[in-house]
Amino acid sequence: MEAQLRPGAREAIFAQLIEAGRAEQVARRLTDAIILGVLTAGERLPSEQELARRFGVALITVREGLVILRETGLVETRRGRGGGSFVIQADAPDETLLHTRLRGVAHVELSDLAVYFSTIIEGCAERAALRAAPQDADRLSEWLAQADWDRDAGARANAGGFYLELAVLSQSARLVREQVRLQAEFGPLLLLGLADPSMRASVAACNTDVVAAIRSGDGPHARTLVAGQVRELAEWLHAAKTRIERGGTLHAASAVSA
Amino acid sequence: MRHPLSAPETPVVTPAPLAPQACAAAVSAAVADVFTVLEDWRDRVAAAVPLTTTTELDALVETLVLPALLGEAEPAAHRDAAQHGTAQHGTAPHGTAPHGAPALLVGAGFIATADYRPGRPAHFAWWLGPLASNPLLGTTLSPTRLDLAARVHTEYLRDFRGLEWYRVPEATGRAHVTGPYVDHLCTFDFIVTLTLPVQVDGGTVGVIGADVSVTRLEQALLPVLLGLSAPAALVNAVGRVMISTEATLAAGDIVPNPGHPLTGYDRVPCPGIPFDVIVRRPPE
Repeated sequence: MEAQLRPGAREAIFAQLIEAGRAEQVARRLTDAIILGVLTAGERLPSEQELARRFGVALITVREGLVILRETGLVETRRGRGGGSFVIQADAPDETLLHTRLRGVAHVELSDLAVYFSTIIEGCAERAALRAAPQDADRLSEWLAQADWDRDAGARANAGGFYLELAVLSQSARLVREQVRLQAEFGPLLLLGLADPSMRASVAACNTDVVAAIRSGDGPHARTLVAGQVRELAEWLHAAKTRIERGGTLHAASAVSA
Repeated sequence: MRHPLSAPETPVVTPAPLAPQACAAAVSAAVADVFTVLEDWRDRVAAAVPLTTTTELDALVETLVLPALLGEAEPAAHRDAAQHGTAQHGTAPHGTAPHGAPALLVGAGFIATADYRPGRPAHFAWWLGPLASNPLLGTTLSPTRLDLAARVHTEYLRDFRGLEWYRVPEATGRAHVTGPYVDHLCTFDFIVTLTLPVQVDGGTVGVIGADVSVTRLEQALLPVLLGLSAPAALVNAVGRVMISTEATLAAGDIVPNPGHPLTGYDRVPCPGIPFDVIVRRPPE
């Protein structure tokens, strides 16, 4: 659901980059956002100057990154007033691009990212449970009640938004900053499994349990729950990559993409 | 006694123990100083509103908030203090705050309600001060306008109405203190947000506000807390710790908790704001 897209999840797309291969990183960050539906067809990207500032890179680096995106056929650049770079990918994630993306990242990188992501979000969840006031649990509960898990893009935005809410409830500015950076780097890939309706149901149910653990102040249980969720998502990703490497499809035969 | 906005580099403990009530009053005075600035901005914005376009409004708000974000402001509080004195706060006159006292504000501005321009979304005129390692903006050395028009979309503009710092002053018509909380929209910092409704002819046209960094609040108020004879903490209405000289209580913790029962502390309200100073009781 569009209405459920969290500003944090969207803004994270443009968070600062690390050193090497920056044009490729610009392209990868935006490609992930587009093929996974965080940025949608017809949407105008921020200006080149704005992108350069936001990513913390030179203007020429952004231009190189946009060239890669144009060559991939994900954006088009229109000149003149009202011009800029526009997303032209259709809303549905493109299987071919996803295959390429998953082939380009090693299993060992995926599992390391999952370990790191899990460690951060487990810490967020445990701290949130220890530090949440009853009002905080109420707000999180209301937030979750409004989250729609019926469709792919909405579920991803809500799952990412929920992680960010957990980080906020940890009361740690550093954890929030790290969670935003990490979600920008790995979120779209990690949440790929949400294309599977059973995964969406599982994550939604897990998050309800996380809220209950936070309400009862049970830090270890909150930690265990989010660790299980990240493990499930990472295992899905592993299995999908293995299927693709064998020449198969992203989704298991039984799963139906919404 | 030292002014709560004294320079942080040389925190000097007051020789004679400070009464908890005086400590609470000093906290209130520091917050009141910010609210005095906000009241001044509110009056100027309210006076300008009926005839002002959003472009003119932006220019006005920018003129008001930028000096405060750069720590260059001569807050209205100082001018008032020179006239009225502040003996009731138990502090030195505000005008004596040393040059270079830490600017408390990390963000400030005005948000016009949707009604301000019929048929248009709410209008943000909000600036962020210089930021260190912000995950969205990197490190900035000068104030940045929060550019919602280019970045965030209508769902966000619906969303912010649910946020306490906007919703409460709009609904109650009164000043409000939100937090401390980690702001995940722009500053990515542990902050307290102070907001005031701006009303014209009985109708609310928007909310004026400022984000106060808890780090800077601590720099300003730690000397006062250290002046107490026992470990203490500054907490908000739900018991969230902001500043603590109690080693076992960290900023962000909630009291009471199993290690810190209500009975272990005297709770002294800070007049006029939803904050309390809690001071550890001597053992029986």
